Amino acid sequence: MEKLDIPQGTLDLMILTILVREPMHGYGISQRLAVLSHDQFQVNPGSLFPSLYRLEQDGRLKAEWRATEKNRRAKYYRLTAAGRRQLEQHRERWSRVSFAVTSVLEGA
Amino acid sequence: MKVLHRLTAGVRWFARRTRAEADLDEELQTFVEMAAADHVRDGATPAEARRLALLQVGGMAQAKERVRIVRPGAWLDAAGRDLRYGARQVRRDPAFSAIAIATLALGIGGVTAMFSAFDVVLLRPLPYAEADRLVMIWDAMGETDVTTRHNPTPAEWIEWRRLNTVFSDLASSQGADTTLSGDGPPEQVPARKVTWNFWSVLGVQPAAGRVFSEDEDNNGARVVLISHDLWQRRFGGAADIVGRRIAVNDELHEVIGVMPRHFYFMPSRDIDIWMPASFPPWMRRNFTWHDAQIVARIKPGVTLEQARQSMAALSLQVTAKDFRGPHPVIVEPLRDEMAGKTQTALTLLLTASGALLLIACVNLTNLLLSRGSARAREVAVRVALGAGRGRLVLQFLAESLVLAACGTLAGLAIALPAMRFLESLVPEAIGGGRLSLDWRVLGFSAAAAIAAALTFGLAPAWRGSRVAPQDALRGAGRGTTGARSHWFQHSLIVVETALAVVLLTCGGLLLQTFQHLRSTDLGMQRERLLTFETPVFRYKEFDRRVAFINAEVEKVRAIPGVISAGSINIIPFTNFANATFYLLEGQSRDRIAGQVALIRNVSRGYFATVGAQLREGRAFDASDRLSDAPVAIVNEPFANRHFPGRSPLGQRFKFGSLGDKGHWYTIVGVVRQIPESGVLNEARPAVYRVYEQCDQIGDLNAGIVVRTSVDPTSIVPAVRQAIWSLDKDQPLARIRTMEEIVGQQLSTSSQSTALLGAFAVLALLLASLGIYGVLSYAVTQRTSEIGVRMALGATSREIMIAFGRRGLALTLTGLAMGLVLAAIASRLLTTLLYGFQPDYVPTAVAVSLLLVGVAALACFVPARRASRIDPMIALRQQ
Repeated sequence: MEKLDIPQGTLDLMILTILVREPMHGYGISQRLAVLSHDQFQVNPGSLFPSLYRLEQDGRLKAEWRATEKNRRAKYYRLTAAGRRQLEQHRERWSRVSFAVTSVLEGA
Repeated sequence: MKVLHRLTAGVRWFARRTRAEADLDEELQTFVEMAAADHVRDGATPAEARRLALLQVGGMAQAKERVRIVRPGAWLDAAGRDLRYGARQVRRDPAFSAIAIATLALGIGGVTAMFSAFDVVLLRPLPYAEADRLVMIWDAMGETDVTTRHNPTPAEWIEWRRLNTVFSDLASSQGADTTLSGDGPPEQVPARKVTWNFWSVLGVQPAAGRVFSEDEDNNGARVVLISHDLWQRRFGGAADIVGRRIAVNDELHEVIGVMPRHFYFMPSRDIDIWMPASFPPWMRRNFTWHDAQIVARIKPGVTLEQARQSMAALSLQVTAKDFRGPHPVIVEPLRDEMAGKTQTALTLLLTASGALLLIACVNLTNLLLSRGSARAREVAVRVALGAGRGRLVLQFLAESLVLAACGTLAGLAIALPAMRFLESLVPEAIGGGRLSLDWRVLGFSAAAAIAAALTFGLAPAWRGSRVAPQDALRGAGRGTTGARSHWFQHSLIVVETALAVVLLTCGGLLLQTFQHLRSTDLGMQRERLLTFETPVFRYKEFDRRVAFINAEVEKVRAIPGVISAGSINIIPFTNFANATFYLLEGQSRDRIAGQVALIRNVSRGYFATVGAQLREGRAFDASDRLSDAPVAIVNEPFANRHFPGRSPLGQRFKFGSLGDKGHWYTIVGVVRQIPESGVLNEARPAVYRVYEQCDQIGDLNAGIVVRTSVDPTSIVPAVRQAIWSLDKDQPLARIRTMEEIVGQQLSTSSQSTALLGAFAVLALLLASLGIYGVLSYAVTQRTSEIGVRMALGATSREIMIAFGRRGLALTLTGLAMGLVLAAIASRLLTTLLYGFQPDYVPTAVAVSLLLVGVAALACFVPARRASRIDPMIALRQQ
């Protein structure tokens, strides 16, 4: 089945959500996104890394180089306090948006 | 703050961007390896796994590029790349770049030099506290006087101070020449006698010491403040200067203060001594002693207009009982006073240099546009490879910026010598006569450069980036770019031609005026005439003064190379003071309001020495001695005012003391007018008499004029020795040739004429280069079209006419527009024309002929090239 395009503006929200549980590297995030979206979304590095870099610049994420469990060096991204705040805001807004959209679709 | 944050983040990132680049690389590699490892785990071979992983990434280079764009230093990086690209373009076409840079250098250099003068005279804050509230006040004595504005009297100053409601205070200053002696060679220095509140009105403090008090002023205390320059020059910057007693006019005065280095005030920046005004009691009551300059500080909250109205009323009230009738006053902002006529000249020249820069920009726009279409294919390739319009525009602009930067550097090299030349345009009243490239001027030229880069770069960038790749790549330049794309370039040509016409016409009008001024009859022969002044205050008795002056003249006459010598109390053209009322025999005393003549005292040989022309009667001779029946020589304006059409010889008049005590002077001669008050001023009625027959008051200065057969400056040392042989403490002041005096008074006119002329010639050159460039580009571009036409039977003459006509049509359109604009501009010139009405029509005709001639040449060369095209070669070229 064809993969879905990630709706505009939601990639950041999904990245932040994924990082709530634990710090992760880029590949891990892309895999987790695929699993959580039941393989509907697949994000390639050309979209993922610009988002990660922007979030890092804005202070939502903090990055550091660490060893993976397989002893490979990788850059791990961790949610900062600011990132957590933004996640809450965005999540709240997203549930309102999706509720509104669903209501419109079902009411029609 | 966010901007700042971004900026610092950008700079920080820029500093470690190699590191960041490596990080990104590694991160992507890790991504690929992890993805590949997963594929291997799912059963792929390592090679297969790696291929799948790379597919998943979807192009490493693109991924990196997309990350780079969001990184904080991205704009810096891009700007750096664009500038490097721009610099490469500039280097790639050295001939083009050299022309562009030279054109810009002329434009930016001119505008920078002009701005430096404009800034010093009109923009820079004057060295006084809140200088915009300072005004000068003059008496408006009416048209009949020797000048329309007159120095007020100390008596008026006292009344104004007492009664006015609009000024927080007013101060008076009077001119005084002083002689310093005793502690070095005798030296005559310009000085001012100022009231005690002078410093508080201006809001300045001495750099060292103190100013004098009201009591000291009133009691005539022997105290002086000296200029920083005098302190350095004469006293070697001695630390103990304050408190030292120095001989000023042979009397010891205590130095109580040194003024700051950059302090200056009207009327000139070289005042060395300030001393108390100490008005004598008679001067405090005398409403005819017009020799004070009044500076006043407007109260906060009062406008200039309010001050003017209030003072006009007050003055009429104060002078109500004046026997000449009440008169109003003129209140002028200090800045306008100081800038004087140069204000117009500088504004005009700055505008003209701006116009020249504009022409330079227009020319460059055209050159870049022409080159832009030649580069269409290169741009098309870049568009095809994914370059966005914005990026392309920025890249084009970067190239313009690099050109502008080079042009500015070269321009500064041109500006520096031009600034030396401009220094004489800075009025004498404005301090810091030297012009320098300080941060204000440099900031201005940087702004000018950026503005220029945008002006000449934007249109070509916009147009150059608008490329449809398939067209540009397919249509291999088959020379069929229609008229559509040319209208813009053509209108640019018209604009620059019009601007050049305006500059040429204004230059022509100024040149006419200058020639008129230069050829004005000064009533004397000014060549090989040396002048200087000697103060004679040190001889107390009148007879000794006259004897000293006559001895000076005799001594100087004996110097080898001297033809003759004479003396006049005030050197011609330098001063409009010393005027007085007079009464003709038979006139009633209440009829003479405003009847004023300049008075000059001369030695017997004076008129012969300066080469004055006698209209009738005789010159002074040995028979004119101290007597009860003195004689006078009047000038033509005097004779024409009272004796139109008949001879004034034998008529008598009185001046100075008009009562019974005064002597009747008999007119024995009429001289052609010498404009005593200044070369540019109209000659006013004047009266000359010999020293021996003057009133006993006498003069404080004797001007000496020396006619030489050799270079007048070569005899200066001998003259000095001759004077010192009479009196070793006698200084010689203001040693100048008459040519210098005249030249200096014409300097604003000659400088503006020369500069505007230079701008105009450059404008003409650039405009014709523009025409040449556009036509010759059109010929190159349409070579194959011309080939086809010729193959179809067009003669080379027809081709030449077709091209030449196009160029001339552009020229004529520009000419017509320019002449209209020039007619308007010439109206604005009137203040610089000194009342002279130059003929517009001949100037316009001359300019038109010149322009058409030069333009025809610029058209002819490319048109001829077009007509020489060999159809066979032209068609095969493709």
